[in-house]
Amino acid sequence: MVVVRAAVLALLLVLAGCADPAGPAPREAADLDGNASIKTFRYSLDQAPSSLDPVQAANVYANHVVLNAYDTLFAYKYLARPYQLKPNLADGWPEISPDLLVYRIRIKHGVRFQDDPAFAGGKGRELVAADFVYSLKRQFDPKNRPQGAWLWQGRIAGLDDWKAAGSDYDREVPGLRALDRYTIEIRLLRPFPQLLDTLALGFSAVVPREAAEHYGRELGTHPVGSGPFRVVSYDSSRVVFARNTAFRQEPVDLQAEGYDPATQRYTGVERIQGRSPPFVDRLVIDFASDDASRWNSFIKGNEIQVTGVPAEKVDEFLESYDPVQLKPDYARRYQVASGLEAGFVFETFNMDFPEFGYNPDPERERRNKALRCAIIKTFDWEARNQSWYFGLGTVFPGIIVPVVPEFDPQLSRTSVTRDVAGARRLLRENGWTAENLPVLVYGQSAGVKPRMFFEQFRAQLMDIGWPQEKVVLKQYATFGDLGRAWKESRLPIVSKGWGLDYPDAENTLQLFYGPNGSPGSNDANYRNPEYDRLYEKAAVMLPSPERRALYRRMNQMIIDDCVAITGLSRKRIYLWHKNVVALPDREIVGGFFLRYVDVLPEGESARPADLEPAG
Amino acid sequence: MDILQYALRRLLAGLPLLLGVTLFSFTLMVYFGPDKTFELLGKNPTAQEIAEVRHQLGYDRPFVLRYGEYLRELATVDFGNSDSTGERVSSLLARTIPVSLALELPGFVLGNLLGIALALLAAYHRGRWPDKLIMGLSVIGMSISFLVVIFVFQIWFCTSHGLDLFPVRGWGTASLADYLRHVTVPTLAMVFVALGYNTRFYRAVIVEEMGRDHVRTARAFGAAPARLFWRDILKNCAIPVITRIVFTIPAIVIGGALLLETSFGIPGVGKAAYEAIISGDQPVLKAVVGLTTALFVIALLVADILYRAVDPRVSLE
Repeated sequence: MVVVRAAVLALLLVLAGCADPAGPAPREAADLDGNASIKTFRYSLDQAPSSLDPVQAANVYANHVVLNAYDTLFAYKYLARPYQLKPNLADGWPEISPDLLVYRIRIKHGVRFQDDPAFAGGKGRELVAADFVYSLKRQFDPKNRPQGAWLWQGRIAGLDDWKAAGSDYDREVPGLRALDRYTIEIRLLRPFPQLLDTLALGFSAVVPREAAEHYGRELGTHPVGSGPFRVVSYDSSRVVFARNTAFRQEPVDLQAEGYDPATQRYTGVERIQGRSPPFVDRLVIDFASDDASRWNSFIKGNEIQVTGVPAEKVDEFLESYDPVQLKPDYARRYQVASGLEAGFVFETFNMDFPEFGYNPDPERERRNKALRCAIIKTFDWEARNQSWYFGLGTVFPGIIVPVVPEFDPQLSRTSVTRDVAGARRLLRENGWTAENLPVLVYGQSAGVKPRMFFEQFRAQLMDIGWPQEKVVLKQYATFGDLGRAWKESRLPIVSKGWGLDYPDAENTLQLFYGPNGSPGSNDANYRNPEYDRLYEKAAVMLPSPERRALYRRMNQMIIDDCVAITGLSRKRIYLWHKNVVALPDREIVGGFFLRYVDVLPEGESARPADLEPAG
Repeated sequence: MDILQYALRRLLAGLPLLLGVTLFSFTLMVYFGPDKTFELLGKNPTAQEIAEVRHQLGYDRPFVLRYGEYLRELATVDFGNSDSTGERVSSLLARTIPVSLALELPGFVLGNLLGIALALLAAYHRGRWPDKLIMGLSVIGMSISFLVVIFVFQIWFCTSHGLDLFPVRGWGTASLADYLRHVTVPTLAMVFVALGYNTRFYRAVIVEEMGRDHVRTARAFGAAPARLFWRDILKNCAIPVITRIVFTIPAIVIGGALLLETSFGIPGVGKAAYEAIISGDQPVLKAVVGLTTALFVIALLVADILYRAVDPRVSLE
């Protein structure tokens, strides 16, 4: 027993020695480089980006890093909703030719890349127009394994030919040139109204050629940009940024950023008016895929300062769902905001499957349409919303999502309203019986939640008489394998989510454009000549009532042809410590807001005194 | 000299094992592993882009050539760049293996030392209440999920719901205090979970040894318990103890501790290997599998040499 007692005592001594007697408050800030006076902001994401190279900034996780380490020509306003573009590295709006084919973009003078061994003497040089030209060319060089070329393919004069000729960076592209040190000219093959939106994406971030050549593929772990922060360290657990002390001075004009005092004053963002970002010395993004760990870190008080609310905590924390409000005890400690995702979840039929979609026999094709419509009628969006999203999501008909200006709130909700009797009638009237209904293979990635999605879907189909054994789950080991099955058109129904690349309904309408069929983004392999004609017409139009009408006609076609079971936009809830001055938002590209975040001393509140909760 | 010759012989004999394991695992990777192509493509890929990526990943090359390339990489310990991040695989391993070692070694050492100590105590009091108590607690320790242990320890030690003494997430080795602050709770969790398994294993070994003739004889001659345990029991238990410890080391070095690393936000090799498996990052996977096998071959050799050192009856022939 003496031995056990001694061991326990020794262990306790070790623990006591390791514990910090100073208490938790300033500890983590001091952690990061041993200096407690450093102002640190710790944000969290539920996944790590796999690469920090802008050519691979294909998701919100990568963009959170890329947009803070690099510069883009344009950006989204911090506070304006719906989202609005603004010039960023561009020195004002571009000159656009009357035929909308030539864009001249001037960039700001004196912007410098961060110091890095890639540069001669290790000193960062001035960013010039040729750097943007080089960076966009990288998207068309297969060696870089780019993921964003599809945005500009067939749109910029000569860029596809440049790739076909071997991607020689010293060879000029007629449609993408630096006219002088500070002027970029882009010549389009046809009008592309979303061009400026694409120049706000991480894909178009400006990379210095020296760094790309110096690091090669390792640029994915060594960002060298001109953004508000520079990456100090990066691994699969976190990325640590330091403030880029050479970042240009651009005082915040809240009015220009779309500030709405009526709805945003509680965030305390008025404190940043007239000051030049970034406002923190250190930005740390924790990649915490484990909900429990992220939550424990958040409630600790001196670690992660912004998080989402885990599903199991929603009832404990929220006083009301709509509007989202915290219970009083939590409202005294935290701030909360919510917003719809810029995207949606939906299911599409793969029209290339003759059992459900196009069929050489016109009669069978007609019956197939009835079959799809019956499945849509039996799909219970409200159950999906309640089961998985606490009823917080917004169910809407069609594929034009609620966050874009073209959304039509008046659209009939018949396609998202469950009608079991109507579905049964449709099946009966079109000769479908339990015996002749086809086997429906539902593909999902491996996991409990996808399995539960499937079980709910199957139970709903069984309500209209679909035999249980004819609704089959096919699970794929990884999401990549599932993606492969979609792209190779091997599944009759595709269940997926889509995040908008830019806030324009064109980004979801292209999901059903015929020429984008597999392996392209049209997983439905929907081919409707009239839809394609309207899409091509609208795709070159600037925003206007006429374009909006075209968008809505296309949307109606998708609903009428029963191509997709759609859709639902999830609601994001952001929770952050009250001493953080911010309005977090991970939608539309993601990560732009981080440069505007300020952190007050522990115990202070960013919320104006008159808005503090009682008690 | 004998040992050197023996080592060389065993290393050569390990080659078929290395070839077998690498061939088997590479076959699994190529034919059953995740396809990385579609993760590296944009949202709207063309058939040409798919072909380009497949070519860059080497998927369009014959299996034999790819396996030959793997062996060359293994021989030169140069596995190229990760297909996910682009980082050199050698840099990735050099960055993550020391983290996993620093994370797991304290728990490994403490878990084994405490396991042996408790096993001795239980064996000495075999059938009596200390034995029953220790075995009962061991079963409890073994029965609780590692994830639950981590979660509860985080709450107890790291948040204001408990002692709030240690960080929930992060890793630091800037100073000894910094290191201890980050490693303590993972170590406690690891020890808690491993202790039950270790104690039961070592107790079984010790009890078996205690029943042997020479121990009974020594007891009959009135040998002191401490001397009996140290000279006649522990020394003779060394072979299973060495086997257990030595064969765990490759898993620690390369395998890492995925759950600890994920839950505490620690950038170790376990997390890197897991992500490589999930995403089909073959350069990283090849390195992990190849080096783990090589380490096992070395572990086999080290174990044999240690057997000889603790038991002269063991021959190196």
